[in-house]
Amino acid sequence: MAKVEEIKEQLKVILIKDLNLEDITPEEIGDEEPLFGDGLGLDSLDAVEMAVIVQKHFAVEIKDMEEGRPALQSVQALANFIVDKQGKA
Amino acid sequence: MAAGEKKFGNALGYQLFYLFIKVGGRRCAYALLNCVCGFYVVFRPQVRRSCESYLSHRFGQAVGFTKLWQQYKLVLSFGRVMVDRAIVATLGAEQIKVALVGREQLLQVRDQGRGVILLLSHVGCWQLAMSAMGALNEPLYMLMHGHASSFESSNYQDAASTTCPYRIINPHGYLGGSLEMLGVLKDRGILSIMGDRVPEQEKNTATVALLGGDVALPISPYHLASATGAPIVVLTSRKIGASTYEMVVADVIEVPVGLGRKAVNFTPYVQRYAATLDGYCQDNPYQFFNFYDMWQ
Repeated sequence: MAKVEEIKEQLKVILIKDLNLEDITPEEIGDEEPLFGDGLGLDSLDAVEMAVIVQKHFAVEIKDMEEGRPALQSVQALANFIVDKQGKA
Repeated sequence: MAAGEKKFGNALGYQLFYLFIKVGGRRCAYALLNCVCGFYVVFRPQVRRSCESYLSHRFGQAVGFTKLWQQYKLVLSFGRVMVDRAIVATLGAEQIKVALVGREQLLQVRDQGRGVILLLSHVGCWQLAMSAMGALNEPLYMLMHGHASSFESSNYQDAASTTCPYRIINPHGYLGGSLEMLGVLKDRGILSIMGDRVPEQEKNTATVALLGGDVALPISPYHLASATGAPIVVLTSRKIGASTYEMVVADVIEVPVGLGRKAVNFTPYVQRYAATLDGYCQDNPYQFFNFYDMWQ
C-alpha cells in the first residue's frame, strides 16, 4: 500500500516533467482524475509517451491496448498496474 | 434529402462504371471517365476549387484554359486510379501489375527485427500498390479512417477470391488507436500510416515546407518510431502504365530513441519526409491526391 502511494507521487512528478505539462503542480493532479479527455487533458501522443515513461522509470512494459486501456485511466490505476506488474516480475 | 440524392447519384455512377468495366473493360471505362471528368471540371466549381490549392503550389498561378486543363488532368488521373481499383474488384487482382522498387532494402529493414513503420501518402494508388507488400510476408496493420476502410472492405468483398491484405486500426478508436499501434510495433510488426494528412482534431503537428509553402503534417509516426526504435520506410506509389503501378521505397528514416514529447524535436524528420513528397510531386505532378488546402 505504501508502495502504491510512493509510486503515485513519483508518477505525478514524472508526468509533469516528461509530458511538459505547464501551469500544474503534482498536488493539483487528483489520484482518480482521468488522464485523458476532460481530466488532465492528455492525448494519444501522450499515451504512447506514458508507455515509454513507465518502462523507463519503473521497468514495467505496457504491451498493448488490453493492458494500456485500464492502466491509463488515472494515476491511481497506473500506480496499481505498476505495483501489480512489479510484484509478478 | 439532398444527401440521399447525392448518395443515390454516386451509387448509380459506380454501378455504371462497373457495368462499363464488365462489358468493355478498361478502355471502355476510361472513355466514360473522360466524359465524366470533363463534365465535372467544367460544370462543378467545387471540383475546380478542390484542385486549386495543390496545382497553384505545384505549377504557380495559371489562368484560363491552361488552368482548366491542369484541373482536368488531375481529376482524370484520380478517376483512373478509382477505375483501376474497381477493375481489381470486378475482374480480379491479376488485371493490375505492381512492381516493388527497393525490395531488397525493404527486406533488410524488416530483418532487423525492430518492427517497421510504412509511411504512405495520398499519391498514386497506395491501395493497389500495397499488394506489393506481400513481399514482406508479415501481417500488415494499417491506420485507416472508417469511410476508407469500409470502401476497401466492400472492394474486397466484391472480389470473392481476394482477401483484404491488411488489418485495420481505426484512428477514431480509443486514444486514436495509439495503443494498438504501439502494440504492433512492440511485437516487431509492420504498421502502415499516412503521413500527409492530419486527422481531425489532431494537434500534434510540425510545420514544414512543401512545394514552396508551409504545411502542418502529423508527428505521430515519428513519435512512435522514437518510442519503439522502429525505422520508418517512406513508400510512394505511382501509375506508370495503363495497367501497371510502381511501389517505391523512397527513403528510410531512423528517428533517434527517446526524443520525448515536444513536436519541435520531430520537425527535421517530418521535413525529410516532406522533401521526399516534394520530389515526388516534381516527378509525378498529376498523381498527388490531396484535394483540400494543405497550405491553409
